[in-house]
Amino acid sequence: MTAKRAAPARKQPMRKPVAGTPAWVAPSAVVAGVALLVATFLIIRWYLTPAPPPPLSSDTTTVVVTQITTLPVSEFDSVGQGTANNLLKPVSGTPMTGVTGKPEVLYIGAEFCPYCAAQRWALIVALSRFGSFTGLKTTSSSSSDIFPNTPTFTFHAATYTSQYIDFRAVETSDRDQKPLETPTAAEQQVWTKYDPAGSIPFVDFGNRYAFSGATFSPDLLGGASWQAIADELRDPKSAQALAIVGSANLITAAICKMTSDQPATVCSSSTIQDLEKKLG
Amino acid sequence: MALPRAQAAAVLISVAGIGISIYLTAVHFAGVVAACPASGAINCEAVLASPYAVLAGSSVPTSDLGIAWFAVSAAVWTRPSGWVQVAWSAVGLVGVLGLVFVEIVLLGVICLWCTAAHALVLALMVIAVAART
Repeated sequence: MTAKRAAPARKQPMRKPVAGTPAWVAPSAVVAGVALLVATFLIIRWYLTPAPPPPLSSDTTTVVVTQITTLPVSEFDSVGQGTANNLLKPVSGTPMTGVTGKPEVLYIGAEFCPYCAAQRWALIVALSRFGSFTGLKTTSSSSSDIFPNTPTFTFHAATYTSQYIDFRAVETSDRDQKPLETPTAAEQQVWTKYDPAGSIPFVDFGNRYAFSGATFSPDLLGGASWQAIADELRDPKSAQALAIVGSANLITAAICKMTSDQPATVCSSSTIQDLEKKLG
Repeated sequence: MALPRAQAAAVLISVAGIGISIYLTAVHFAGVVAACPASGAINCEAVLASPYAVLAGSSVPTSDLGIAWFAVSAAVWTRPSGWVQVAWSAVGLVGVLGLVFVEIVLLGVICLWCTAAHALVLALMVIAVAART
């Protein structure tokens, strides 16, 4: 018997080493994918951002301002508070008077600020029931902030006269955030007292009521022209009228509280009287 | 037993995420302004005061989701890295991309604190993927 010879071990063919995917590839792909999506979002945003509307000529501005400051009483009564949020809070302080000794409405804001842009419409509508503006110019909020290019007016270089109240406006910066006006020490003190966070817009009604922020969203005005917004204010059912005229009614009620319900033609309406009760 | 370095880093990142989310929740309920610029393209106040800062139809701040997500993340990273961490990080990353879409496209402003939390989620995703390859 012959011993079985062990079969010679067959040589395994050598596998050519294959270079695996380097470990950094997958994590880098994750980061690159996220970066690509963020870049896409930025492009979409750039595409959707409305271009800043060119300021209106002074003649057209006069037409628009006249249109929004001569709204019929029926418009105010139809809208009531509308969709405006009542941000006005009663405050207690030394009654504030202005340069002519009348109760003062103090506004502190800035041209770049979209909330100020929205709120100025309502302030102009309301204040025009007690007096008149001259020198209002159109502008729009910053192009690089939230609610970019919200169409509005600026109080900078505008004047207001009234036999009932004084109005003092401080626009702290222009739409490019360059310094414009500075509140006095007394105004700064009032602002800090009633709004320690220093938000804008800040509005104080003779130290009887105050609020910060906008009573409606600037989104309502985005992409619209001044003329289009002015036209919408004539329709008491439009979203713009419900917000702006509603806000103007709240402001009117606060001013009527300051002026002991003068003038009666404005303050004695049931709409304003009801809102005065709401303000407390 | 000490955790491997990547795992330990992931747990620390998750804890940092919980911290940021708690801060944003506290800011929401305290009604104060976050320590962050409030004008221009970086504007925490605008983001945190937007309707997207709370879960739809509720008063629950979105940052509460962050607390929950980072807490689960810290827990899963105490286990050896595997597909669970990749899957959980992917869930977080999808949420982050949704929030970044809201910030950039819908609001047009960025909240720095939110971005810090988003960066932590991305870091966790990178660690999870790197640990699998």
